[in-house]
Amino acid sequence: MNRMENFKNGLIKDNPVFGLYLGLCSTLAITTSLNNAIGMGTAVIVVLILSNVIISAIRKIVPDDIRIPVYIVIIATLVSIIQMVIEAFAPALNTSLGVFIPLIVVNCIILGRAEAFASKNGVLDSALDGLGMGLGYLLAVLAMSFIRELLSSGGLVLTNPFNTEQVWMNLSLIPEEFRISLFSSPLGAFMTFAFLAAALTAYKSHAAKKAAAKTKEAK
Amino acid sequence: MKNNILQLTLFLGVTAAIAGGALAYANNVTAPIIQENNERAEKATLLEMYPEADLSEFTAVEDDGITSEHPTIKKVYQYKDGIVIFQCEVSGYDKGTVFLVAINSANGEVDNFKTISNGDTQGIGSRITTDEFRDSVLGKPSDGIDTLSGATITSTPVVEAINECGVLAGEIQ
Repeated sequence: MNRMENFKNGLIKDNPVFGLYLGLCSTLAITTSLNNAIGMGTAVIVVLILSNVIISAIRKIVPDDIRIPVYIVIIATLVSIIQMVIEAFAPALNTSLGVFIPLIVVNCIILGRAEAFASKNGVLDSALDGLGMGLGYLLAVLAMSFIRELLSSGGLVLTNPFNTEQVWMNLSLIPEEFRISLFSSPLGAFMTFAFLAAALTAYKSHAAKKAAAKTKEAK
Repeated sequence: MKNNILQLTLFLGVTAAIAGGALAYANNVTAPIIQENNERAEKATLLEMYPEADLSEFTAVEDDGITSEHPTIKKVYQYKDGIVIFQCEVSGYDKGTVFLVAINSANGEVDNFKTISNGDTQGIGSRITTDEFRDSVLGKPSDGIDTLSGATITSTPVVEAINECGVLAGEIQ
């Protein structure tokens, strides 16, 4: 029960992007297209789960004084490996995500979860926490890129990251004169982010009020 | 205290060594694939020139000072039957031209020509990218090519570069 609760928290209530405001730099930069969001989200999930598992497994032998450098070495290694794998098997994704793959190292979600959760909890719990937080990040970048790509280009395109010639989905929904190119710019990224973060906050305060009313009734 | 520092240093060292090992292994596995990808991307334009060819039929020629002696030439490939392909970059009226020219080293004739990009005036300098220019150079000796009248600022450096390539092709083979 507790485990599932933890997992669900990362997904919505404590969503790393819209709830905790972590990892915003890459979120704002790469959410111009669904393809980028899926690639980045997947990379972050893999790194988060692996780093959480490794850090949790060695939490009892790492001296407290140097735990942060050790975590950083582990995270940086994982990210470099992921980058090599992406470059080898999905070169198009590597080109479009560019510098933001190596920058996963400094994504605060990962170091944050290592320090706040994995260093204090068991391997399985940490893996689940990583999966929950990672999915939360994926959900956030998907929501943002969905809105931004749709409004700025008028459609949605999904291609196979391992073979860019294979197009899975190519929708054109908004006629050219109604497209808002602003949404592909950083300004559009901030606006989309603000609206979504506000929506989550509104949902959370609504849920809290409801819960408070319930406990009052019960009394 | 001293002992403690030693212990911490050792721990960090061991962590870094393990990380380094993991990275070396990953690099070992992915490096050949990445190199192949890069080569394929590079040779994709060569395939457009010779659609019936196979990627492995093109071999990059060792630089050996070619590009430093001939700054317009950026890359050289060998293809079957003594054909040498040059990738050149020349200036023009505005942004100049990047093109590929294949020269038959046996007789010095232009075997194939393809522009990769041209940033000169649309309708004037850009004529270098059309079949008009391509047809006028195919099968001609590399030192007997005419410039495009009306677009000499763009075409003269291209013709000169093809000339240079013709001389080099004989030396490379």
